[in-house]
Amino acid sequence: MQSSILVITEHWNGQVDGITYQMLAKGRQLADSLGIGLAALVLGYRLDGVIAALQEKGMDVLLVVDHAQLAQAGAEVQASVIAEAVRQMQPRLVLIGYSLVGMELAPAIAAKLGAPVMTNCVNAEIIDGAAVVTRPLFDGTLHAKIALEDKGPPLVAVQRGATPSVQLPPRTASVQPVSVDMGSIPVRSEVLEVIEEPVSDVDIAKADIIVSVGRGIGDKEKIPMIEELAQALGGLMACSRPLVDLGWLPRERQVGASGKSVSPKLYVACGISGASQHLSGMSDSRMIVAINKDPNAPIFQVAHYGVVADLFEIVPALTEEAKKAKGEVAS
Amino acid sequence: MKIVVCCKGVPGTVADVKIAPGGKAVQYQGQFLTMNECDEYALEEAIALKRAHGGEVTVLTMGSITTQDILYLALAKGADKAIRIDAQIQDSQAAGTVLAAALRKLEYDLVLTGTQSRDTLSGLAGIATAERLEMPFAFAVTQVEVDGDKTIKIRKELGGGRFADVRLPLPALLCVQTGIQPLTYVPPARMLRARQQALRSFSLSDLGLAEQQIVPQGYHFLNIFPPERTGQAQFLEGSAGEVAAALLGKIKEVL
Ligand SMILES: Cc1cc2nc3c(=O)[nH]c(=O)nc-3n(C[C@H](O)[C@H](O)[C@H](O)COP(=O)(O)OP(=O)(O)OC[C@H]3O[C@@H](n4cnc5c(N)ncnc54)[C@H](O)[C@@H]3O)c2cc1C
Repeated sequence: MQSSILVITEHWNGQVDGITYQMLAKGRQLADSLGIGLAALVLGYRLDGVIAALQEKGMDVLLVVDHAQLAQAGAEVQASVIAEAVRQMQPRLVLIGYSLVGMELAPAIAAKLGAPVMTNCVNAEIIDGAAVVTRPLFDGTLHAKIALEDKGPPLVAVQRGATPSVQLPPRTASVQPVSVDMGSIPVRSEVLEVIEEPVSDVDIAKADIIVSVGRGIGDKEKIPMIEELAQALGGLMACSRPLVDLGWLPRERQVGASGKSVSPKLYVACGISGASQHLSGMSDSRMIVAINKDPNAPIFQVAHYGVVADLFEIVPALTEEAKKAKGEVAS
Repeated sequence: MKIVVCCKGVPGTVADVKIAPGGKAVQYQGQFLTMNECDEYALEEAIALKRAHGGEVTVLTMGSITTQDILYLALAKGADKAIRIDAQIQDSQAAGTVLAAALRKLEYDLVLTGTQSRDTLSGLAGIATAERLEMPFAFAVTQVEVDGDKTIKIRKELGGGRFADVRLPLPALLCVQTGIQPLTYVPPARMLRARQQALRSFSLSDLGLAEQQIVPQGYHFLNIFPPERTGQAQFLEGSAGEVAAALLGKIKEVL
């Protein structure tokens, strides 16, 4: 199908990743503003279940590459197959989720196509007929709006959670196989095994209340202050990735793209900037409270309540209030 | 094993950010250039691999003369050689073109980079470099094991609590994940000694590249601004006690 928006889908073990539905919703919005169609591409092996899950999800055409060699293919092979499908189809723009999988695929697909690529986007829209993306710079303290020229076609990778996965009006997509000459694609690396992380003792994903600490804490010795607040509120303590990298807290406490996805009733972020890889693990929380010194910290984009202040002043005061409320401290 | 590690100098803070004439780049005043943290982890891994298996580590950076500080830090941490490409390039795909051209002039079995830089936040340059050299690559690598003369075995993150073990033929490029090794502290004396070491530099013409070959293609900046408030966040102000009391009130509503 000429001149459509093409969404690259992501699935694992027969399950479509939620980020795909977000990209489909975004893709439909872009396609409608351009008056063109929406297509999606799925690749893998024995895809009947995935096709069935996707087919009614609002795209006009579902392109399929189903091949035994794609059963456990590495990123290089997947990128080559996607690039070949894009070449054949010539879409107006390619949308892919900025998941860890997308982070590895997007630059390779773009390089193979000689196409421009915008990663880590928080938005994509059509302004005066041109695709315009919004993406962070400098730790996310600034945003840039960037216009894409119709070369390529351009690839746009959008952050998880940046667009809601609204239900598109159901329609039955026409399923079209794409023929790719698998023999012509070099296979250099070999995926030996995919490993699932074992379940840990502390499961932050099950907690109703999470108090999460970021690098703003500055010092390992100060972490008990956060733990104390978590306990006073009756919740669990979690953290951003750098604290795990520094060895200050165990990996089971990490929230984000490469950690756990959580959606508690309450998420209190203390000294966390709100990088896309952190937000993608917690932006579905019912109530988000952010305490950060920097008024431009991207965490305030998703927060319901924000406090622009030093966490070392606010956290002890909040702990005190919570204890008072439980009657642990005489007021 | 010969390892090249690509390390970028990034500003600690920036001011006066605006779009450069032509719309292809961002201009800013940057303060105190530091080594991009993701790349520092790649450097630590390169040095750890050298300690375990022998060989040498060459650190490669790109930028103006001020980025030399990044190279001295790398030498102080244990790199053997240091090279600066004298070019200032923001576009990550263009950076891939230039890094690939420099690598063609070097001998290596393994190239290590970080996952992303804190200024562009695009996570592209590593894989763009690998693609230009038609080299196998892996992203978000958390473990590297040398398992043969001509192969390595790595573990990488897939997200959602999943990892993949992958075997790659050498030469290969790995975008190393943060936390792969502890960051080492460099005592000032070692830094002083490193400053005595010679650095190599490549100009773009040394690499057979012309300025116009590395102009970013296919996009232009329209606007740069502090992140827009989506309007949902309500900001609480006052003394710490007042803010805490108000917050607890809000919190109780949801629990
Ligand atoms: C492939 C990949 C996967 C990743 N996966 C994850 C992941 O799963 N989870 C994750 O969290 N990150 C992940 N990251 C890292 C992510 O990009 C960010 O680097 C990280 O989230 C930043 O953590 P932070 O907010 O704690 O630190 P920083 O970004 O350093 O922010 C610290 C914040 O603290 C504030 N602050 C400082 N002092 C104070 C104070 N006294 N009071 C109040 N505020 C203060 C600062 O204003 C700043 O906003 C990943 C990155 C990559 C490339």
